[in-house]
Order: sequence, then C-alpha cells, then structure tokens
Amino acid sequence: MSSLPLLQNALLVGAILFSLGLVGILARRNLIVMFLAAEMMLQGISVSLVAWSRYHGDWGGQILVIFVLTVAACEAAIALVFVLGAFSRTGRLDAAAWQSLREATLGRVIDRELPASDTLPQKFPTLTPAGVLPETDEDELLQREHV
Amino acid sequence: MNDPVNIGTLLSGTLSDTLTVSLPLFRPELTLSATIVLLLLCRMLPLLRLLDSALVALGGAAFALWYAWLDMQALPVFAEAASTAGGRTEIFSGLLVFDSFTAYLRCILAGFLVLYIVFTKVSGIPDREDGADFYSLVLGATLGMCLMASANHLLMVFMAVEMASVPSYALAGILKGRRAASEAAIKYAVYGAGAAGIMLYGISLLAGMLGTCHLPSMAVELGRFAQAGAPGGSVMVLCLGGLMLAVGLAFKLSAVPFHFWCPDVFEGAAAEVGAFLSVASKAAAVALLIRVAYGLGMPAGGAAAGELVADLAPVRHFAVAVIALMAAVTCTLGNLAAYGQTNMKRLLAYSTIAHAGYLMMGVAAAMALAGPKPAAAATAVGAVAFYLGTYVFMNLAAFAIVAFLRNRLRSEEIAAYAGLVRTSPGIVVATAVVLVSLIGLPPLAGFVAKFLVFSSLVQAISLGVDRQLMLLLLVVGGVNTVISLFYYLRVLKVMTFDPPPEDRVGEAFPLVSLSGAVVTALAVPVLVLGIFWSGLYAAAQLAGAFAS
Repeated sequence: MSSLPLLQNALLVGAILFSLGLVGILARRNLIVMFLAAEMMLQGISVSLVAWSRYHGDWGGQILVIFVLTVAACEAAIALVFVLGAFSRTGRLDAAAWQSLREATLGRVIDRELPASDTLPQKFPTLTPAGVLPETDEDELLQREHV
Repeated sequence: MNDPVNIGTLLSGTLSDTLTVSLPLFRPELTLSATIVLLLLCRMLPLLRLLDSALVALGGAAFALWYAWLDMQALPVFAEAASTAGGRTEIFSGLLVFDSFTAYLRCILAGFLVLYIVFTKVSGIPDREDGADFYSLVLGATLGMCLMASANHLLMVFMAVEMASVPSYALAGILKGRRAASEAAIKYAVYGAGAAGIMLYGISLLAGMLGTCHLPSMAVELGRFAQAGAPGGSVMVLCLGGLMLAVGLAFKLSAVPFHFWCPDVFEGAAAEVGAFLSVASKAAAVALLIRVAYGLGMPAGGAAAGELVADLAPVRHFAVAVIALMAAVTCTLGNLAAYGQTNMKRLLAYSTIAHAGYLMMGVAAAMALAGPKPAAAATAVGAVAFYLGTYVFMNLAAFAIVAFLRNRLRSEEIAAYAGLVRTSPGIVVATAVVLVSLIGLPPLAGFVAKFLVFSSLVQAISLGVDRQLMLLLLVVGGVNTVISLFYYLRVLKVMTFDPPPEDRVGEAFPLVSLSGAVVTALAVPVLVLGIFWSGLYAAAQLAGAFAS
C-alpha cells in the first residue's frame, strides 16, 4: 500500500479512538471508566503519531509515543490511587458522589428523590441519650441516600 | 538523502555537547533532582530520619537559587543581550533553550521555592510525617516548571506540563483525611488527564503537518506554508492543532473556559497547596505560553531573520486573536465570579484566574508588537516578567495570611474574619497591603506591574497592529480593575467594620511572632517593589531581551 492511503487510514483510526475517549471522559460517571477513556485518547494519539512518523520516514513520532506511554502509565497510577481512596471512603465509583465542592448558587445533581418521610431526622424514643449527639455531615448523608 | 554518519563521531559529539554546553547550564534543575533523591534517601536511613525534611528541601532550593542567580549574572547586559537574542543557546540537542528569559524564570521559581518552604515550615502543613512526600512533590513539580520555562520542542512542552501537573494532583490530595482534599485531587486529575490528551492531539496534528517538533524548525516550515499559499484544508488542520495546543496551555493557566478545576481545587486543597498552584504553576504556564507563541510566531534569531518574520505574520495574528480573546473573557469572568464568594480560598482562586487574564493581555501585546517593532515586544515581555516577579510576593502573602488565620480561627470563611482589626491590627494592615496591591493601586507593586502591561497595550494601539483587539483589551483591563476593587475591599470591610462573631475560637494574631514575621517578610516587598522597582524592572527587561 502506498504511504498516503496508509497514513489516512491510520489517522482515521487514531481520530476515532481519540473521539471515543473524549466522549467517554465527558459522558461517563464511573471514575475508572473516565480514566480508561483518558487512556484511550492517548492511545488514539499514539496511533496517529506512529502513522505520521512512518509517513515522514523519521523516528521523531515514535520516540514521542514512547514518552507518551510512560506519562500515561504515571498518570494512570496516580489516578488509580485517587479512585481507590475515593472508593474506600464512599463505597462507590460514581463521580456524582463528589460534588460538595461547587459554587454556592449551583444545586446538587440528584438522580432520584427519596420519599419525604425517609429524609426526616431519625428519632430514638426508646433510648436514653448517652453523651452528645454526634455531628453529622449533611452533605454526606444526602449523597449516600440520594445520588 | 541522508549523509552516512559515523556512530562514533555522533556519540562523541553528543557527549561533548551534553557535558560541556548543556549540563553546566542545567545546574538548578540538577540540584532540584538531587534534592529529591536526598529527601527520599533520608527517610530510609535510621539516623538521617531525624533530619527535618523541610531543612533538606530548603537547602536544595537555596542551592538551586544560587545556581540560577549565577546563570543570571553570567548573562550579557541588556544592550548585548538584545543583539544576541538574549544570549540564546539551545541545549540537549535543541530540546531546551537557555536564554535570558529561562534564567530569569528559574530565578523566580527557585526564589519562590525558598520562600515557600519557609512558609510551609512555619504554617505546619505538611506535618513531619508527610514532609518528605510533600517536599519531593513540590520540588518535582518545580523541576517540571523550570522545563516549561525553557521548552524548545513540543515533546518537551508535553513532558514539562505533565511533570508539573502529576505532582500537583498528588499535592491537592495531600491532606488524606479530609474529604474535600480527595475531591479536589480527583477533579484536578480527571480534568488534567482530559486536557493533556487534547493538547497532545494538537501536538500530533502540528508535528505531523510540519514534519518536526522542534519549535524554530516548525516556524521555518510554517513560514514556507504561508509563503507558498497552503491549501485551505491544511490551514484548517494547523489552526485546529494550534487551538488544541492552546487548550492544554489554558488548563495550566486556568484561563476561561478551562478554569473549572481551579476554584474547586483551591477550596478543597490546603491553602499551602493553593499558594504553590497559584504562583509557581501560573508563572510557569505564562512562560510556556510565551515560549510556544514566540517559538511558532517568530524565527529563532529574532528580527534578524528578515523575510521569515513577514511570512509568519498570519501565525502571529492567529496567536494574538486567540490569546487576546481568551484574556478578555478570563479577566472578566474571574472578577465577576469572585464577587459572590464567601470562602476566602475560593475568592483567591477567582482572583488568580483574573490575574491570568491580565498576564495574557501582556503576552498578546508582545505577540502583536513582535513583527513591526521587536524592541517594544521585548519591553512587553519584560512587563509580563515583572508582573510575575511581583505576583510571587502578592499571592504568596495572600495565601500565607489565609493559612495562618486558618491555624488561629479554624476557618477560611470571609465571615470568620469579622472584626479582626480589634484583636490583630497588624495582620489586617498586611492584608490591606496585599489586597490593594492585587487590585493594582499605587504605591504598591501591583500598580507598577499592571501599569507596565497596560502601557505595552497602549504602545500596540499607537502602532496600529491588531488595533481593535488591543483597544478591547485595554478597555476590558480598565473596567476589570474597577470591578476587582469591590470584592477585594469587601474582605477588608469585613475585617475592619463588622463586629466579631460571638463564637470566635482563636486568640489574637500579633505580627511579632514567627508566622507574623513570615507575613511581614512577604508583605514588605510588595510595598518596597511599588516604590523602588527599578532593580526588578531591569532584570525583567533583560528577561524580555530574547524577544527583540
């Protein structure tokens, strides 16, 4: 196959991989899938870099790919640490569990409301109070039940 | 096509170039790397574990500053520097470039690092256990930022951005026990991974179309494209590549519309981390923006390269349009959004976004002036460099005040600062100095910096290059300065006029204390640089000499 159609085909594959990754990182809510999508973007870029490198007949693009892979590994490692920490804290991989930092004027994204009776503060009529009532983080309660 | 190269001569040539030219000009970065290794080694050995990692890091940063200062001293004076494009030397076979701008930025970054380590040592985050991790991350990120300031190759641009970003993600989450810190780290990492991917795709488009990643060679190729009248399709691809590259840079600069991470990360992470991200990261990002814009828009030899300068005019025009529009939007949105904030760290985050806008205005003016009047462009780059120099003190002082007040009051809400003037007048005066300087009022350093940037805009208008855009920037800059007056002064109003809250936990914060001394040491230069600014100005002009 001559070099120009080869380049075009490889660039097409690269562009498709890249756009799939971009859509994934924008649209998915699972933290692991989001990072997988970011990796897919980088793989698409690697494909097109190698294609350009072959088309121009020099090694520059391939060397770039080696560096990209290294950086991608570092990024994935650190991202997985965060995901693991997030999972052990909230017990879920949903990105919507993490929305306590936001503009004061913006509301929280809630998938389905609980019936109003469930959101009332619990009362313990049969127990005698022992010590002070522990402080509860309202945000944390909400998102455990609501998201 | 290629001449046969003897592998022996190739190796010995590379070796001698690396050993005699590159490595001596790379001493600050080498010092930082050695310090990171030392920090991690110290923790492994039983006796050395007793050594405080802040001291090790401080020693390393001081050495790096010393070497950066020596490199700065060794530069030719301004008149000579201007004729030799800032003493430009390509090192490591063209991956990096050493010139007056590199030397100046490294001085700024290393100097910031010294102040920063002292500040974090006093403020108590990180604690002793986390110290080695924290400081090796900080030094590693600074190493990446030094590379950002000297990048001369798109591979290096990408690597440097990642080297600065990846440790920053970890820094944002350094307070492992706090939920908000984890959230900040996750948001920063997701956003950063996406932005890096888009930037890299832009790099692959540009590099593929032009057949090289070396910025000066890319400028030559671009000039050839422009002269030959390239077909519309390839111009589209080049523009797309440039815009995607700009996405990555805008993420680092926290420029609108890629600023969403900034307020959340600043609010969630510790104030100490915010200080690092808002000063060092921003300075390096501005430097990288100048490097990339100049690398693609001007030939390496400066104005001496003759007709290539004229050929590259469309590239420069494109860069000016992108940077100027982004600057205008960034500045306006940053200032407007800061207005309604109740959390001091979030307010400062929007304030840094707005300042990124002012800095980009200076870069846009420099790019507009680069073709018709290189000497004025050098002055404009010098103005941006001066702005960065004063910004170190202003913003580090602002975040230091937030951190120390947090230690006393257990709160970072603006409302918690009410009535501070009755118990701790000294800290209120220091805050006033810093905030008024951030507004840009005389006689403080922020005024001089802003004045220099606006005067380079005026120069571009008077020369009539990209006149409408420059006029727009000047008006937007002026209006924004007025807007910013309100939200900075609101903080001071709360501190002085409002009655103190009933349930205040903290005690008074005297300026005569260790933390007070740090605040004073950061706030006094803001005042002094506003009056005696000629020294820093001369250094900044020397930094800009590479552009003439």
